[in-house]
This record gives sequence, C-alpha cells and structure tokens, in this order.
Amino acid sequence: MSLLEVIGVTHTYAGSRLFRRAGRQTPVLTGVSLSIEQGMGLGLLGASGAGKSTLGRVILGLERPRQGQVLFQGQDLYRADASTRRQLRRDLQAVFQDYTSSVNPRMTAGQIVGEPLENYERLSARELHRTVGELLERVGLKAEDARKYPHQFSGGQLQRISIARAIALKPKLIVLDEAVSSLDMVNQTNILALLGDLKSIFGLSYLFITHDVKAAYSISDALAVMEKGALIERCGDKDQLFSSPHPVVNKLISSVLSEHPRYRSLASSSNPS
Amino acid sequence: MIARRMRIGLKSRKTALAVTVVLGFFILVTVLAPWIAPHDPIQVNLAHKLQPPSWEHPLGTDHLGRDTLSRLLYGARYSLGFASLIFLSALGIGLLIGTVAGYKGGIVDSVLMRFCEGVMAFPSLVLVLGLVGIFGPGLAQVVLAMVMVQWVYYARMFRGMVLDLKERNFITAAKISGSSTWKIIRRHIIPNVLPPIVVMGTLEIGWAIMDIAAMSFLGLGIQPPMPEWGAMIHEGKGYIRSHPELMLYPGLMILLVVVTFNILGEALADRYGVNGAFERGRIHDGKTAQRIAGK
Repeated sequence: MSLLEVIGVTHTYAGSRLFRRAGRQTPVLTGVSLSIEQGMGLGLLGASGAGKSTLGRVILGLERPRQGQVLFQGQDLYRADASTRRQLRRDLQAVFQDYTSSVNPRMTAGQIVGEPLENYERLSARELHRTVGELLERVGLKAEDARKYPHQFSGGQLQRISIARAIALKPKLIVLDEAVSSLDMVNQTNILALLGDLKSIFGLSYLFITHDVKAAYSISDALAVMEKGALIERCGDKDQLFSSPHPVVNKLISSVLSEHPRYRSLASSSNPS
Repeated sequence: MIARRMRIGLKSRKTALAVTVVLGFFILVTVLAPWIAPHDPIQVNLAHKLQPPSWEHPLGTDHLGRDTLSRLLYGARYSLGFASLIFLSALGIGLLIGTVAGYKGGIVDSVLMRFCEGVMAFPSLVLVLGLVGIFGPGLAQVVLAMVMVQWVYYARMFRGMVLDLKERNFITAAKISGSSTWKIIRRHIIPNVLPPIVVMGTLEIGWAIMDIAAMSFLGLGIQPPMPEWGAMIHEGKGYIRSHPELMLYPGLMILLVVVTFNILGEALADRYGVNGAFERGRIHDGKTAQRIAGK
C-alpha cells in the first residue's frame, strides 16, 4: 500500500455564483493520479499555473476536489470522519514558499514550533520547552532562539522554523510547496541538505513542489511533471526525466543553466544523460 | 530614507508622550473628581449666581450659582467615561461580527455584511431621536444608539483585515498543525487585528465625545442638573452676551480632549503603522526598515 495515493483528481475553482457562466470554468486539475511510497521523495515540476500548488492543497486536505480521491495511508482524506481525519492530518505536514507569512509575527519561535505539539500531544510546559528546543537544534537553530520573534530571524532561519514546525509531530509526509524557491543560493543548498538529512533520519516522504529542476533533482527519488492541470510525465527513477520524449519536459530541462557559460548553449540542445 | 523614518519615529514618540501626559491628567481628574472638586456640582445657590472668579469659585459660578470648576471636573466623568463605553462596546461587537464574517466567509459573510450595510444606511441622529421618542431623553439612549451605529464600522474593518490574514500561510499552517477554528481565531487572528484597530479607535473616542456633547447640547442626552460639557454649553447659551465664559470653559475642555485624542491616535498610527498593520515593531529593526524603504 502506498503512503499517498491520488486517484483521478479533478478540480475547478468556483467563481462568484452570481456571475458564473456554464462552460466558462477552466479546470485547475484534470484527472491527476500519482502515488508516493513511504520514505520516497517525489519532485513535482511544472511552470507557474500548472496546478502544482493546488494539487498540494488537495493532498493536504485543504481543498476538496470536485472529483477523484486522495488516499492517505489507505484512507480517504475527504470522506473520513472527523477524528480519523484529525489523526491522518497529524502525519501530513507542509512547508510553504513565503517564509515571512508562514509565521505569526506576534508569536515567538517557541510558540510557533510548539503549536502542533500542543494540539496533539499532552506535554507539560517543561517537556514542551525541551522538545521545542530539540526541534530548533535539529534544524540548525539554537534552543535559546525559542524566545525570539520572527522579525529577529533571517529568511533562511524562518524557513528552518517552518521546517521545525512541520517535523514536530514526526509526520510521514511533508508537502514542500516551493519551500526553497525564495531563498538565496547558499540558503537553498543548506535547506536542501537539511531536508535530505531529515528524510533519512525520520524516514520522511516528501512531495517537493517546485519549478526548479535542479533543486527537485537533488532532493527527489522520483520526478513528475505537470502542465496545464495534467500530469504529463512520471519517472520512477529521476534520471529517466532526461530521456523523456515530451517537448514540455525537454523545455523544462533546457531551462536549467549550466554552471559554466561555455556549456549553456550545449545544455539546451543535447541530453546530458 | 531610513534616517528620515527614524526622525519621524522619534518625533511621534515625543508627541505621543506629551499627549499621554495630558490624557493621563484628564483620566486622573475623572477618577478623582469627588475628592478634588471644591463644591458639589449640582448644589444650587441662587444667592451666588453668575459670580466672577474668586478664591472660593476659581472659575466663577453659573446662572444657578453652581461652581463651574466642579461642574467641569465632574463633566469629564460623563464625557470620557461614556465615550470609552461607546468605543469599547462598539469594538467588542464589531470584533465578534467582523471576525466571524471574515473567517467563515460564504453565506454567513454575505448575510452579516448586507445587514451591516443596512445599518450604515441608517442615519444615527434619526436613530437617537427614535430611541429618545420611545424611552425619553437620557444618556443611556444616546450611548445605545451610537453603539448600534458605530459597531458596523469596526465590523467592516475587522472583516477586511481578517480576509487579508486568512490568506496568509501561518493560518494554513495552523490548520495543518491541527488547531481548531476557535484557537486560530484566538491565537492568530485577534492578536493581529486588534492593535491597529485600537489605534484607529483612539481617533474615534474624540468623535464620540463630540457626539455625546452634541446630543446633550440638543437636550437629548444627559439631563439637568447633571454636569456634562455639552449640556453645560447648552445651559450657558442663554448668557452668551453677559457671561460667555459659561460656554467657553466646557467648549475649551471638549476642544482640548478631542485634540489630545486625535494627536494620540495620529502618533500611534505613525508609530505602529496602521497601513503596515501586521508589521508591528518591525520599523525599529534596521534591516526591515531598509526593506520597507526599498519597496
């Protein structure tokens, strides 16, 4: 049994009821199916507006799809009763792109990271404090940072706080929605390395949503590509992507700039595999 | 750019300090009125009517021989007290309705907002007159009518801010973290919407004082012989030619308090940035100031 199974998900954002006209809705997702195994990192690639983030929201249980099913650990997220749903949610966490809006400016780092623990685990104030300190250290911050407010952290540090919050409950799947895209190169590399470490330590699975082929390649085991709401390519092995015949995939790969200017024109014309 | 920003910050902080001192004085007077007033404010003494200032009556007496200073001191209780009451009640109702409408959205939002628009279309003076017509004149009717009209503005402001907040990732993250709706509202929404609204509300208190005074002046609010600044102006208007100070003193008090509240409101808005409502405290962080200035 796969950890996560998305079966034929179709979704449309409803407009205003008053002005809605039949046949004018553009579907955001059309019959998307994919699965993620335990401990696997799936990189979901695609241009802006391809429906990647919507799929992420559907998987997180935030957006009920018009059609199709989302099975998490074998149970339908949208048909489960409230308590099952709550237990399923526990194993399903997320990190978003915009690190500033991901944290409440009026809460300390400790309160932010401690929130999921408060909701699911009955810890004494002392244990909570200790656990939060451990989590902060785990993501490369200091335990004393728990007292600081978001404006006292840099972007990379804020993203680390978001990651600490996401791993607080030791979830099984983390949806990383462009989680490194708004960071600078050095921070990107560091955060990707951190995510890689956490994956091997906790046996986490990732859904890594991004438009950055390099980042996706570095962290994922498998890759999938979306275009206009549909999944157009799925590679069980990430290297298969380079031999894909699909023009959109080739365009995506060729968009990656080579490290050295001399090879940049080559990268766009030939397959690096 | 940053230097200019800091200078504005410093200046507004000084202003805020000055008006806070003035306001503190008014609040002290309000609380201590029974102990510091030299005379009973409603004690009629026709033998001493319309007296000029003296050691016994520092600001003289009115047409019924009542001590003007004592009446002014007691009047602060009504003006400030009821204005604060109106502000807090309207704020409370507005917070409840606005947050529910903004957070729930959909049909709940539509129904509540259409109701608000209905209330907004209703002139407050007509509402006061209606209530006075039913229950007779009195401050309670005026306060009730003003709360009934003003909460709508708070509700709309709160709704707008909640709509903006709702889209932020930390709300989504809280949902994913398993926080209940109530917990999200309590921990994430209210702490972020309240401070800027309180800043704006400081300006509103000034208006409320003027409104109470205006209603009392029209004879709809507080009734004689109770001292309220608007009512005092009303009573003094018969003597405007011979004793203009009877209208002047309470008028000056209203002016001073309202101006103080307005300056305080402006200074706070500057300090906490009502526009950057969610960025409280960030201005003082050099890097963020740079980021804001660079925008």
